[in-house]
Amino acid sequence: MSVFSKVLVANRGEIAVRVLQTLQAMGIATAAVYADPDANSPHAGLAGEAFSLGGSTAEETYLDRRKIIELALRCGAEAVHPGYGFLAENPAFSRECAEAGLVFIGPSPETIELLGDKIRSKEAAVIAGVPVVPSSPMWTPGESRLDGLSSQIGFPLLVKAAAGGGGRGMRIVERVQDLETALESANREAASAFGDGRVFLERYIPAARHVEFQVLADSSGNTIHLLERECSIQRRYQKVIEETPSPALNDDLRTRMAASAVAMAKSAGYTNAGTVEFLVDAQTGEYYFLEMNARIQVEHPITEETLRLDMVEWQTRIAAGKLISLSQEDIRPSGHAVECRIYAEDPYSNFAPATGRLLAWRPPSGMGIRLDSGVAEGQEISAYYDSMLAKLVAWGPDRQSAIGRMQRALQSFPVLGVTTNIPFLIRAIAHPDFRSGEYDTGFIARHPELTAPPESNHLNGAALEIAERIWRSAGPIGGSNMSGQSSAGPQATQGPWRGLSKSTFP
Amino acid sequence: MTTRRLQQIHPPESTPVGAGYQVDIEIAATSQGRWEGQVQLDDVRTTPFLALRDGQQIHVWLAGESYVFAPPTPIARARRSGQPASGDIVSPVPGVVMTVLVSAGDAVEAAQDLVIIESMKTEHLVKSPRGGTVEQVLVQEGEQVERGVVLVVLVGLGEER
Repeated sequence: MSVFSKVLVANRGEIAVRVLQTLQAMGIATAAVYADPDANSPHAGLAGEAFSLGGSTAEETYLDRRKIIELALRCGAEAVHPGYGFLAENPAFSRECAEAGLVFIGPSPETIELLGDKIRSKEAAVIAGVPVVPSSPMWTPGESRLDGLSSQIGFPLLVKAAAGGGGRGMRIVERVQDLETALESANREAASAFGDGRVFLERYIPAARHVEFQVLADSSGNTIHLLERECSIQRRYQKVIEETPSPALNDDLRTRMAASAVAMAKSAGYTNAGTVEFLVDAQTGEYYFLEMNARIQVEHPITEETLRLDMVEWQTRIAAGKLISLSQEDIRPSGHAVECRIYAEDPYSNFAPATGRLLAWRPPSGMGIRLDSGVAEGQEISAYYDSMLAKLVAWGPDRQSAIGRMQRALQSFPVLGVTTNIPFLIRAIAHPDFRSGEYDTGFIARHPELTAPPESNHLNGAALEIAERIWRSAGPIGGSNMSGQSSAGPQATQGPWRGLSKSTFP
Repeated sequence: MTTRRLQQIHPPESTPVGAGYQVDIEIAATSQGRWEGQVQLDDVRTTPFLALRDGQQIHVWLAGESYVFAPPTPIARARRSGQPASGDIVSPVPGVVMTVLVSAGDAVEAAQDLVIIESMKTEHLVKSPRGGTVEQVLVQEGEQVERGVVLVVLVGLGEER
């Protein structure tokens, strides 16, 4: 009945932690790999064994297929879980694992190859009878002609990478004269991120919603869907807030999209957990196949919360050849779940990535609150890897209670030393358009007040007063030395620590 | 009333804090270099805060926002206003210089791409805010840069005097 005796997790951050937790709960021995900057990160500490990949950049560490396979073989792992990103959708890695006698926890190399090619995957969608968005042939610098490429699409349009994901290698282009620069820039970014620089054009659908369906398929062809996730709150084409169920779907649309998702998975010969992404035209209610992601999705926890199942456990069991014991009728969601991605970035500066040391990191807890985190207090956040620090998930019996729990949790989440998007998230989920459920992928751009620096008021006045008093108490050079302060008055807090006086300002 | 010694570095301050807010603050140090307490918002409501000192910076978390304060320095002033010395084109992100697209002496147009920075696996195009001439390029491809580091110095043309 056993699945694997040992699994190596070829990833970092929150997803490595997430996968390790499930493997350990299943009684499977675990191994992790880490780059030099991650030597003290939680995923390396959590695993039964942790191996250095030696190096800092993604290319010399988490993308080094040979190193990872060697380590997996040396430690006696039977399978490799790739997480998402890095090698998760790399067919060569999946193939090399198989050649080395390791089970790759994910679909076959052929399926990854098919779905990783946006053109071929669209063809598979068309064959499966799934509606698709109009797009152009591939463009490669120096080889392809530019003129005529956009004539069937029209402006504004999207430049997308054939091997893309997470918004990398993607550009929106408003005018024909900006097209060449955008193609070249997207090509460079895609070549650096995926090792495949091919890009193409796609019709841009304004006021679109991004809704995806989770599917599970086993090796004997049983394929079920695990309902949808609404992922329309995005910046730079990367998701920021997700929820399930989607406020945009009625039962009829949900049924039709779910059937398309299952048809797509079958058309691609899919096994394991995958996600079929659709654009939904908010105006017409029509939907189009975008792509199918051959990996566990960042936002999988909201599905887990409403369905009370463990996606990583299913991935592992299916990879070990087990059949899905659930039927479609067993998939009955309960309540509502929302996820907020906590990014190290400055919401007041166009979401520019932020780095630094996490001087304070105090995640909230409470009823219905879950945090999938890959960082710990004291950790250095470098510019080498993705800026996502953690995912905060709130579940509630209905949408309003889930959002209410999320609001409270975000407001009780002190992070110091690294700028995060938490203040933006607080504003976004309080926004009337989010509360009403009537939003699309243009939400952030349409509401600049969400990313404007806060008005000066009594709050930053109080923060400044706190800072001034700490500064005075310690002196300009004395660091955290408390002995310099002499203002402890009669109201000073009792306890082992010398307090500063309670006072009123100005 | 005490003279302010610190400036708000983050978030960027839209208008300087004015007088007139009546706020009670209770502060206790909870461990070396850390302070926690309560701010009285009005007659009934209080909200907790967490603060710490890191070198010349004081970090304060309060009501969902994380503030950074520091004594005024030329760097702090530049970051604060978001507009460093005119002509200095700074990196908007920490990262690695992937491509330098201009050289000293080049004439550039407004919105022309100058430098490409890769940070956290995303490309950032640094564009010229106006037309002019490149006086100096201060970074090389492959170089690590912090946010706010001057990449290119521009002179001439569109500069309003």
